Formats: sequence, C-alpha cells, structure tokens
Amino acid sequence: MWTWFHRLGSPKWFYEISGRWLPWLTAAMLLFLAVGVVWALLFVPQDYQQGLTNRIMYVHVPVASISLAFFPMMAVAGTVSLVWKMKLADMVVKVAAPLGAWFTALALASGSIWGIDTWGTWWVWDGRLTSLLLQFFLLIGMISLRSALEDGDAAAKACALFSIVGSINVVVIKYSVDWWNTLHQPATNFTADPSQPNGPEIWVPLLLMVIAVYLFFIISVILSTRNEILYRERRAQWVEELVSQS
Amino acid sequence: MVETAAQTSTAQAFLATLKRDLLIAYKRKNDMVNPFMFFLIVATLFPIGISPEPERLSEIAAGVLWISALLASLLAMDNLYRADYEDGSLEQLLLSPHPLYFMVLAKNIAHWLVSGLPVVLVSPLIAYMLSLPEGSFGVLFLTLLLGTPVLSLLGSIGVALTVGLGSRGLILAMITLPMCVPVLIAGTLAVEQTQNGASLMGFLAIEAAMLLAALTLAPLASAAALRISVN
Amino acid sequence: MIQFSSFQEFIEMGGYAFNVWSVYALFTVFLVANLLLPMRRRKQLLRELKRRRIAAEQMQKNTEESARLERAASSLGEST
Repeated sequence: MWTWFHRLGSPKWFYEISGRWLPWLTAAMLLFLAVGVVWALLFVPQDYQQGLTNRIMYVHVPVASISLAFFPMMAVAGTVSLVWKMKLADMVVKVAAPLGAWFTALALASGSIWGIDTWGTWWVWDGRLTSLLLQFFLLIGMISLRSALEDGDAAAKACALFSIVGSINVVVIKYSVDWWNTLHQPATNFTADPSQPNGPEIWVPLLLMVIAVYLFFIISVILSTRNEILYRERRAQWVEELVSQS
Repeated sequence: MVETAAQTSTAQAFLATLKRDLLIAYKRKNDMVNPFMFFLIVATLFPIGISPEPERLSEIAAGVLWISALLASLLAMDNLYRADYEDGSLEQLLLSPHPLYFMVLAKNIAHWLVSGLPVVLVSPLIAYMLSLPEGSFGVLFLTLLLGTPVLSLLGSIGVALTVGLGSRGLILAMITLPMCVPVLIAGTLAVEQTQNGASLMGFLAIEAAMLLAALTLAPLASAAALRISVN
Repeated sequence: MIQFSSFQEFIEMGGYAFNVWSVYALFTVFLVANLLLPMRRRKQLLRELKRRRIAAEQMQKNTEESARLERAASSLGEST
C-alpha cells in the first residue's frame, strides 16, 4: 500500500500515467457532454412552473455541486502535503484554487441568470448564492496568498494550512448564511431547488451532465498539474529529455 | 523575556508574554488609540453617507457598529506580530520551550484588550448617536463583547500567514474578512431578532460557542502559520 | 420526445431564449477556456524550457571555446 502511495507522490509517475489516461477521459467526457446537452436542450419536458428555464439546471447544478467540493478537496490535498510533504498534493492545492474560482464564478453566473425569472432580479441575497460568493472571495484570497509568497516551500505550507482553515470556515459560513437568510425571509421564493427531480426523464440527463462536468473537472486538474510538474521538475533528467523531443 | 526556560512554567511564560505585550502597547499609545479612532470615524461616515434620519439609522445601527468594529479590528491586526517579526523577538518566542499555543493566545488576548475592548466599551455611545432602540443596547454590548475576541483570534491566523510579506494589507483583508462573516451574522441577527421578541439566550449561546471554538482552534492554526512564516 | 416542433421554436425557448442561451454560452466559454488555457501554457512552457536548454548548451560551448582559445594563446606565448 505504501509503495503505491509513494509512487502516486512521484511527479514523474503521475505525468506518465495521466498522459495515458487523458485521451480516454476526454473521449468519455465528450460523449457524456454531447448526449447530456442534446438531451437536456431538446428532450426534457417543460417544468410546469418554470417553463423552459429548467434547461439552465443542467448547467448550474453540476457546476455548483463541484464548486462546493473544492474547499474540502483542497483541505485533503493540503493535509497530505503538510503531513507527508508530498509535492504532488501541493501542486493539486495550487491548481485547484484558480479552477475553483472559475467553477464558483460560473455557478454564481448561471444561478443568477436562472433567478431572473424566479426571483425577478439578477441578484438576491439568497443563502446559497451568498455563501458561494464568500467562497469565491476566499479562493481569490488563496490565489493572491500563493502568488505573494514566492518561496515554494513556504507557499506550499501556508496555502495548505489556509485550505484547512478555509474549509472549516466555509462550512461555518454556509450554515450561518442559511440561518441569516431563512430568518430574513422565508424560503417561499426559492422553490427552484432542483434536488427533487420528478422522474427519470428529468434526472437521467442531469446525471449525465454531472458525470460530464466531473470528468471535465478531473481533466482540467490533470492538465494544470502536468504543467506544474513540467515547471517544477524542469531540471530533472526526464523533463529535459521530454523537452528535447518536443 | 529574560527568564530562562528551566525556571519558568508555561503559566508564567503566558503571563509574561501578556504583560510584555500590554506594556509595549502602553508605551506606544498610537497603537492603542488609532483603532479606536478609526472605529469612531467609520461609524460617523455611515449617517453621512446613508441618511441622518433617526428611523433609518436605528435600522442599520447594529450593522454599522459591527462592520466598524470588524474594520477596526482588521486595521489593528497588523500590529499583532509585525514589530515582533521585525525585531526578532517572534523567533525567540518560537524557540521557547513552552507550547506556542499559549504564547499565541497570550498575544491575542493582549491584542484584544488593547484594540477590541475599547471599541466594545465605547459602542453604547455610538449606538446612542445612531439611535439604536433603547432595548437593544445590552444585546449589542454583550454580542460585541463575545464577538470581537473571535475577530481578533481569526484575524491572527491571517496575520500569521502574511507576516513575512511586503505588501500584505489587502491580502490580509481578503483572507480574513470572509472568515469573519459568521460572527457578523450572529451579532447583527441577535440585535434584530431580540427586537422582534426572540430570546437573547440562544444568540448568546451561539456567540459563546463561536468564541470557545475560536479559542481552542484558532491559536493552533496561528501557531502553525507562524512556524511556516518565520523561517 | 423532442419538445419543439420547429427550429424557430427551439431558438426562442418559450420566451426564455436570453436566459437559457446565455447560460449555455457561458458554459461553453468556461469549458473551452479551461481546456485551452492549460494547453497553451503547456506549449509556452515547453518552448521556454527548450529555449533555456539551447541557451545553456550554447553557454557551455562558449566557455569551452574560450578555454580552448586561452590555452592556445598561452601555449603560443610560451613558445615565443
């Protein structure tokens, strides 16, 4: 088990294995995405309340669900990098922060466009939107912390620690914002909750889209991590060979 | 701290650190007065910027006080480890044989006594000027008393992470302000809900829980962050 | 079952054309950007590393060359 763990920590090993996985992952993502998008846009029946805006759900829900997973994921990777000094884990913490900001921004944008009709405005201080917005700020703070601490090792440790503190904090923020919002206004306006789909014709395409977006997330983490590996290992023999072949 | 480690217990080291930080703050009166004045000025800007009408002010008074306290605590944060970092005494603190948790806690308490407590004490006066309803003075005072230490403890993590940086002001604000949101929510909700007849005890329990959680966890994170930054 | 009887109807999205299509447009931008940016960065990185490698080799050649010249000059000086 430990040899496996150490191999996983080796950037070279990860670079090679991920290079072999990428084509398959990309093919699978494109397949799921194509079927999911076509199904969602063309075949899903209208929602009796929201009409055709329910098509937004098929983008918003997968993206938002992954954005919520970013801080826990960074905290796990950060713990691994702090405890076992695994270089690869720090690279994941590093590349996850900007990617998380992208995902959170899209979740916010699609959520507020969806809300134009349900709520009548672009923005309401809804609990979910507000906590996502705060998470977005924390991610931006994390990116600027990383870029300010130029030194590799100190930046790795500081960002790992911040990801752990941040993930605890995101949970507290989420609960407190929900509490704040439900006390302010009862949740009557926010029945847009799509977590209770009514039948397979609604949730099967959603499942396909969730899988597609998860695959996309994995692919983009792998792509950025490979770049990071190339940069950090630029003096290693195998990178030099790779560079001269390119 | 001149005592040798062999003769001092952790409790003595804790008290010595506390006393030293308070003494330094007393000697440098600016550090003590500035956050306090900043709080007064920010609180004054809101009526000017929004409306001088008592009815509208009374609605926003609690929020204004909380936000001003939050900004004042953020502004004062930089003093927490900066001077010690520059003159090297922070390194000594890290090398001391006592658990860093207690040393960090002592510094945080001293910092709160100097920058947080004056703000809490003057808050009823500002609340009166912002026409906060009579019945809410006690609630606001109590929630500020329980909440501002949490702001100091959370801010301490951010300062410890950024203490070695040249331009740290904005980064510090960006990583600590979102973290302080739950405290802000609990404080302002307590004032608003008790006006509507809710019981105060529930809110005080939540604030106290936040304070206890911050007291136990935040200094650990600050200590770890200091060890990372000072190297 | 396709929910639309004509292409026109599909584009109109039951009056929600703006909402639906802007979200899908943002989604497309997001997907393309997050695939293209790392790929472009990879190209830049490889080019940069290659350039550095060539520069380092060149530098080494230059120092060897100058050392050789120096040796030649000093042996010339000894012989005269």
